[in-house]
Amino acid sequence: MCPADLKTTTTRLMDWMKAVPAIADLATEIDERVRRLPTKLNEYGFDPWGFHPAVVPRLLLGAALLYRYWFRVQTHGIERLPAGRMLVVANHAGQVPIDGMMITTAMILEAEPPRIVRAMADYWVPTIPFVNVMMARMGSVVGTRENCVDLLEAEEAVIAFPEGTRGISKLFKERYKLKEFGLGFMRLALETRAPLVPVAVIGSEEQAPAIANVRWLARLLRMPAFPVTLTWPHLGLVGLIPFPVKYHVYFGEPMYFDGHGNDEDEVIGRKVEQARERIQAMIDAGLDERRQRGSIAGIFF
Amino acid sequence: MREAGEPALGAATGERLLITGIAGGQGRLIARRVGDLFEVAGVDRLPWEGHPRYIRVHVLDLRRRKLEDIFRTERPTAVVHLAFVRHFGADPQVRHEVNVVGTKHLLEYCATYGVRRLVVLSSAYVYGALPENSHYMTEDAPLNVSRTYPEVRDLAEVDTLCSAFLWRYPEIKTAILRPVNTLGHYVHSTVGRYLKLDYVPTILGFDPMMQFIHEDDVAEAVALALEAGARGVFNVTGPGAVPLGVAIRESGGTPVPIPEPIARIVFSVLFRLGLHPFPSGAIDFAKYACTVDGRRFRAATGFVPLFTLRDIFASAQQ
Repeated sequence: MCPADLKTTTTRLMDWMKAVPAIADLATEIDERVRRLPTKLNEYGFDPWGFHPAVVPRLLLGAALLYRYWFRVQTHGIERLPAGRMLVVANHAGQVPIDGMMITTAMILEAEPPRIVRAMADYWVPTIPFVNVMMARMGSVVGTRENCVDLLEAEEAVIAFPEGTRGISKLFKERYKLKEFGLGFMRLALETRAPLVPVAVIGSEEQAPAIANVRWLARLLRMPAFPVTLTWPHLGLVGLIPFPVKYHVYFGEPMYFDGHGNDEDEVIGRKVEQARERIQAMIDAGLDERRQRGSIAGIFF
Repeated sequence: MREAGEPALGAATGERLLITGIAGGQGRLIARRVGDLFEVAGVDRLPWEGHPRYIRVHVLDLRRRKLEDIFRTERPTAVVHLAFVRHFGADPQVRHEVNVVGTKHLLEYCATYGVRRLVVLSSAYVYGALPENSHYMTEDAPLNVSRTYPEVRDLAEVDTLCSAFLWRYPEIKTAILRPVNTLGHYVHSTVGRYLKLDYVPTILGFDPMMQFIHEDDVAEAVALALEAGARGVFNVTGPGAVPLGVAIRESGGTPVPIPEPIARIVFSVLFRLGLHPFPSGAIDFAKYACTVDGRRFRAATGFVPLFTLRDIFASAQQ
C-alpha cells in the first residue's frame, strides 16, 4: 500500500462515515476550524516542520469522535489561552496518551482562534513507518531542545508532560498524585520567554486503571512500561479499549516566569515546584467538583 | 552580463580568484557571477569547452603537485574550492584522494601563497540523516553522516579539515558553506539525478522534509561570501522545505515506495554491480530529515534566495 492508496482509503472511509449526519457535521466543523489555524504555511501547504493542515481533518476525525461521544470532554477556561507562543504543561496518565489527544482536539475545536498544539515526540518515533509521517503532518516534532525553542520562537503552542513516562504508567492507587517534574520544560519557557499554560486533565486515570506494572516484561519488550489493567492483557486487544469515562480538561491562568534558562537546578526547581503545585491544585479542585456529582456517577457522567 | 572577451573589472581592483572545479555546472555559474569582482582563473580535471575568454582554465588533477605551479603563476588573492567528487562512479580510493588529499594540498598552498579569502563549498549532508536530528540544525551540530553513510565520510573529513584551517589561520577569511539540496539546469547534483528519475524509489512509510536551493542562489551565496569576506561555517538555505514525496511529484516523477528491508538488500546488490548510482547508506536520507538553519549566513551576508520552491522544481525537470 503506497501513501496515495492510504489517502484514498481514508478518504473513502470518511465519506462512508459522513453518511451519519452528526459525523458529517463534525467533519465540517473541523474543516472550518483547521482553516483558521494561525500557522504560516508555504506554497505547498506545509509549515517548516512538516505540519500539513490539509490532512488534519482526515486524521482528527477519529479523535474528535472520541472527544465528543466517548469521553464527552468538557473544557474549562480555554478562553484563557494567550495569543502566540505558549508552553502547555499537563498531568499525564492512563497508560495510553489519550490525554494529549484530547488536549490537542480541545485546542482545535474549542479555542478561539483554533490552535495546533505541537507534541514533542520520543527519539524513536521517527523510526516507525507511517506513524512518523502521520505525527509530523499533525504538527508533532522530535523532542529536541532546538525544535522546542524554534517552535516557541515561531509563536507556536508546544505541549509538555513533565512527568513523562513516570506519569502515564502510574498505578491506579497513585491516581491524580503528580509525580516528580523534569526541569527541561521550565528552562525552555525561560529561554524563550514563553508563558506556561497549566492544564489539569480529569478522567484519564480511570480510563484504564492499572493494577501492576510488569517491569521485566517491559524491559524484554523494550517498552517504557507493561501495565496490567482491569482488562489488559487478559482480554486481548479488546482490553485496550478505554472505559468511557467523562473527561474534564481545565486550562489555568497562564504563568509568566522571570529568569534564565541556564540558571542552576535549584533555582529552576523552585519555579518548577510552583507550576507543579498549581496543576496539583487544579486537579484537586476538579476532583472535588466531580465528587459532588457522585463518587461513581461523577466518573462516568 | 558582460560579453565574452570584455576586460574583467577584477584586473582594475587587483583581486584574482582561483576556482577549483570550474568546469562543473556550479563552477561555471560562479565563474560568470564573480567576473565583475575578480580576475578569474580556474582548474578542473575536465576542460571547459567554450569558456569566456577572460577566464583562464587549467586542466589539471588536484592530486598533482602542478597545482602549486598554478598558485605561483596565478597568485590568487581568493580561492573558491568546489573540486569534489560527490558521485560514486569513481574508485573509492581515487574519490578519497581527490577530496581529502586534494583539499589538504590546496589549503597548504592557500597558506603559503598569501590567499586572503577562501570559500569552500561543502554541503548540508555532512550532518547526516538521523532520527534524532533537530529540524533546524545549526552549524554547531555534530557531523554525523559517516555513522550511517560511510561512503561519504571523505566529504565530512574535508569539511573538518577546512574548519581546522579556518581556526588555524585567522588572517585568512575562510567561509565553509554547507548548502542544502541544490537543483538546477547545470548542476549535476546527486539529489538532482535522483529526482530526475521517472520512477523514484522511496522508503515505504517515510516522507522526510527536505530543503532545496537553486544553483544560481548557491552561486550568489558564494559571491556574497567572497564580497563580505565572511569568516566561519555557514549553512546556506533556500526558500524552504517540503516532504520528499512532494519534491518528487513537483519535479515530474512518480514515487515508488519500497519496504526498507527489501530496499537495503536490492540497492546494495545493484550498487555493487554498478547498476544503481547510490550505496544503501543513502537510504537514510529518504527516511529522516537533514534540514538546517540558514540564519547565520543570512545575517552575515544579507543573502536572500531569489528562487521559490516552484522555480527550483521547474528547473530540475528535463
